[in-house]
Amino acid sequence: MNLVFAITIGTLFALGVYQLLRRDLIKAAMGFALLFTAVNLLLLAVGAFDGANPAYTDQGDQPSDPLVQALILTAIVVSFGSYALLLGLVNVVSTRFKTLRTDDVDQLQK
Amino acid sequence: MAANNLLLIVTVFVPLIGAVVSLFFWGRDRIQRRIGFAAGVIAWLASIGVLAAAMQDGPQVYRLGGWDAPFGIVLVGDALSSIMVLMSSTVLMAGLLYALGCHDKVVKNPAFTALFLGMETGLLGALFTGDLFTMFVFMEIMVLSSVSLVAISDNKLGLEAAIKYLFISSMGTLFLLLGTAAVYATFGTLNFADIGNQLAQGDRSILAREAAVMLTAAFLLKSAVFPFHFWQPDFHTTAPTPVHAVLSSVVVKIGVYGLIRMTTLLFTAEGELEAIRTVLLVLGTISIFFGSLGAFRTYDGKRMLAYSTFGQIGFILLGIGWGTPLALAAAIVYAFNHAFIKSALLMLFGVVSSRTQTKSARLTEVAGVGRSLPLFVGLLYLLGGMALAGIPPLNGFISKLALVQSGIDAQMWLTLGLAIGAGILTLMYMTRTWQLVFQQKPDASTAPLKTYNDSPLAPALLIAGCVALGLFAAPLAELATAAADQILNAPVYIEAVLGVEPAAIVGR
Repeated sequence: MNLVFAITIGTLFALGVYQLLRRDLIKAAMGFALLFTAVNLLLLAVGAFDGANPAYTDQGDQPSDPLVQALILTAIVVSFGSYALLLGLVNVVSTRFKTLRTDDVDQLQK
Repeated sequence: MAANNLLLIVTVFVPLIGAVVSLFFWGRDRIQRRIGFAAGVIAWLASIGVLAAAMQDGPQVYRLGGWDAPFGIVLVGDALSSIMVLMSSTVLMAGLLYALGCHDKVVKNPAFTALFLGMETGLLGALFTGDLFTMFVFMEIMVLSSVSLVAISDNKLGLEAAIKYLFISSMGTLFLLLGTAAVYATFGTLNFADIGNQLAQGDRSILAREAAVMLTAAFLLKSAVFPFHFWQPDFHTTAPTPVHAVLSSVVVKIGVYGLIRMTTLLFTAEGELEAIRTVLLVLGTISIFFGSLGAFRTYDGKRMLAYSTFGQIGFILLGIGWGTPLALAAAIVYAFNHAFIKSALLMLFGVVSSRTQTKSARLTEVAGVGRSLPLFVGLLYLLGGMALAGIPPLNGFISKLALVQSGIDAQMWLTLGLAIGAGILTLMYMTRTWQLVFQQKPDASTAPLKTYNDSPLAPALLIAGCVALGLFAAPLAELATAAADQILNAPVYIEAVLGVEPAAIVGR
């Protein structure tokens, strides 16, 4: 199970970084959401610290660490807020520039 | 165990309450801005109280909800964070005062005051908080408010700069969260004092190295140091004047604060500390040069001052990198003085550019504009420029003197020589723009100027502060020295927060 979890987190990070580097604002915003999901899962995994069981297995009799779950809840709320603001800004950009290609949104360089 | 100090919570949450109250006056922007200024003044008074208490009785603590330290959230006002908070709340108060006399369209936006006060809450909270995760939350509040403020700026390019910054700062936040995860996996706690305590007992360090890398990257990104600097001139230049003054002078200092905390409390093991300090010295030196040359070459007055901030942060990093008590005190003095000088200069440039029809700060358009302003505005700009370059008896001289002294003390000749060379560049670009704006005859072909301009009251007060800090430098120097002693003596901090003798509690 730990292995599956590690592979999932790694895949999500890879997908997120790939999406973020694409030349389209909506796709980059998606990469942003994927990366934050990956970090939240990573936080869940570090709850397996010092012999405690992580929340995603039911082996052993020691309860899992509740603190990481509280941290994840907060991180979800915060990243949701930034994601909403980002999508709002992308929306305004699309009406003003009539495009979402990052190469064409380039007035700052002039 | 010290009692709760209520002033800590007043400093952080009065701006937040002010933001909510201002929203009830939707559409009545004068009342909103007055509420904002009142909240800023209350936070400023409370931060003075915290500093006085911290210098007299050691670190002040507020435990939220009464939970003891490693389990609950604590706000800690030790000497370092109280000085940083006093600096920030002073500049934020001046920014709110400037907004009262500002003619930009953005200050009439019903959300302006709420967003500005949200930025204040985030900044002061991130400086006061005693654990890593709460710091992340407060920093996000600050980032989201400042992004929104830049996106609604009068400058049309603000939107593009805001979206660019939101992406980049989210990467910084991601690094901070990764660092948080690594710290939690290593120590099983996120409280600064608890981590310091476990390190003092020589506890495990499974992922400590990774955590150090992630957190250093996150803080360097927030401070716009060399490889992470590319967003800063765009984002700061397009911001409305009162916001730009705050962003370029105190918001970038949050990374500096985090780096000081990291090198004195979190990662104090031999090898790690050396590595972090070397990185800071190298990047600081590069930043000084990139910043000074960029400021010298650029075409826009506000952009010049943003580049200059990028260089000045490099000087502060040198102080942290040398790491001796004298150098840390010099870094604190430098950060404090720079906040006053830079915010005053930016507001003065805002006053100048508010006269032009396009509100532009392009050097070709503001040439000669200063001649239509009262004489003392030009004088204030000259004073600020000389302070930035480090001419006695202004406060910039005191901070340069402290830094050079600590450099000689630490025997770092190469970086010291480079730093002094960059100071001369500062003098060159400041006198050049002063001459251009306030001495040169206006170009007859440019559009006619407006008959009104923003009120120069706030920058005048800040420059008065600069002169006072230059003439009476001893109190600040003593404060900074006491703060450096206190942060290098980690057990004092740990005992105040955890309420026990360090190394008396066993790691879990």
